[in-house]
Amino acid sequence: MSQPILEARALAKLFGVTPVFSGVELKVGPGEGVLIIGRNGAGKSTLMKTLSGLIAPTSGQSLVCGQESRHLKTSNRRVGVLAHQSMLYPNLTARENLEFYGELYALPSPAASASQWLERMDLAAAAEKRVRTFSRGMEQRLAIARALLPEPDLLLLDEPFAALDRDGVALVTGLIKESIARRRAVLITAHAPLDLGGLQFTMLELVRGRLAAFGGEGRHERLRSLSAG
Amino acid sequence: MGGFGALLRKDLKLELRTGDSTITLVALSMLILLVLVLAFNPTQGRSGDLAAGALWVALIFAGMLGSSRALVAERENSCILGLLLSPIDCAHIYAAKLAAAFIFMMVAEAASIILLMLFFNLEFGMRLARLVPTVMLGGLGFSAVSTLLATIASRTRAGDLLLPVLVVPVFVPALIAGVKASAAALAGATMFEMAGWLKIMIAFDVLFVVAGYLLFDYVVVED
Repeated sequence: MSQPILEARALAKLFGVTPVFSGVELKVGPGEGVLIIGRNGAGKSTLMKTLSGLIAPTSGQSLVCGQESRHLKTSNRRVGVLAHQSMLYPNLTARENLEFYGELYALPSPAASASQWLERMDLAAAAEKRVRTFSRGMEQRLAIARALLPEPDLLLLDEPFAALDRDGVALVTGLIKESIARRRAVLITAHAPLDLGGLQFTMLELVRGRLAAFGGEGRHERLRSLSAG
Repeated sequence: MGGFGALLRKDLKLELRTGDSTITLVALSMLILLVLVLAFNPTQGRSGDLAAGALWVALIFAGMLGSSRALVAERENSCILGLLLSPIDCAHIYAAKLAAAFIFMMVAEAASIILLMLFFNLEFGMRLARLVPTVMLGGLGFSAVSTLLATIASRTRAGDLLLPVLVVPVFVPALIAGVKASAAALAGATMFEMAGWLKIMIAFDVLFVVAGYLLFDYVVVED
């Protein structure tokens, strides 16, 4: 296996004395995808934030391209994150939001990149509208464009299909396929198994703070309860 | 410093679009000055001392409101996480937030000084001109302290209530120097005579701008 883009070693996180997850071991290489499934409140979002370096683990290590994600050199922060919150400024337009992030990432032409992504996400008609006026689905599309804008090596997507219509789901599935084809590492979290258009993702499950292979004994019961949840 | 420029431009653009901070700061400053003018009669001598005190009361109240407002845009939709994920250095985020807070405060202070002239019957001239460096140094120091402490306070449940309790005691040395320097300026003192107070303010500004620049990384990131 080539050098993993994302690696977690005995990763654990406690809030006070309450464990969220522990002993998380994970490796995602270039062109590989991992899908982590868990119930609401299982700790998927906290795991995602810890992997991206946004919050510190209580113990263990989270490495991106061999560097601790918490202490990534500023020039090497090439992690695209889609979280529950869109990280978009409601009083800026869609174009202004993307251009702003393009400037932060020092893209050669933030305006051209913003136009390209607005076109790709089918948001060109709403480019000059403030994000405050967007529907939840439109905001989700723009948030995905924001995550992909700097062409990251690692893509962390927390519930990427939330609030998307059928066209949106197809669009985002296509982008995930393209990311895998471009040798990015992709990690997705969801509360139920996803149809990823035939992509071979390693499926893991976060249960009671432990990450385990999805399936095996009790799989059908879990699937049923996950679908119900 | 590309990220610094982008962040400051974004903050100014948002402010020009919504006017959230500036309008509130100017309105609050006006209100405070009006109350003080009604409470004390500035025509009965000592108008310079009263004006100096009133100006700094307005600066502190308006500044506290402005500094907490400056971080609201970043907390909305968790935009602060987008900044932390980007290659921009945390110190540059602090510098941009400080610069934006300072600019908003100076707009409010400019309005306050104009109102001060009207309410306290002050003449436009060298005395008022000597007030400018004092107000700018005070504004910079207050912005530096309040930006740093507002970031800490915003992570707590009672952040808005906590901010004044944290900021005002820390700002006391610069506040005393600022009030004394302003009163001296309005009484017709020369810059040389005010130098002692101004040096205290400069030292305070350097200390807290550098502290904020170095510590922001630790206070902005979640544990």
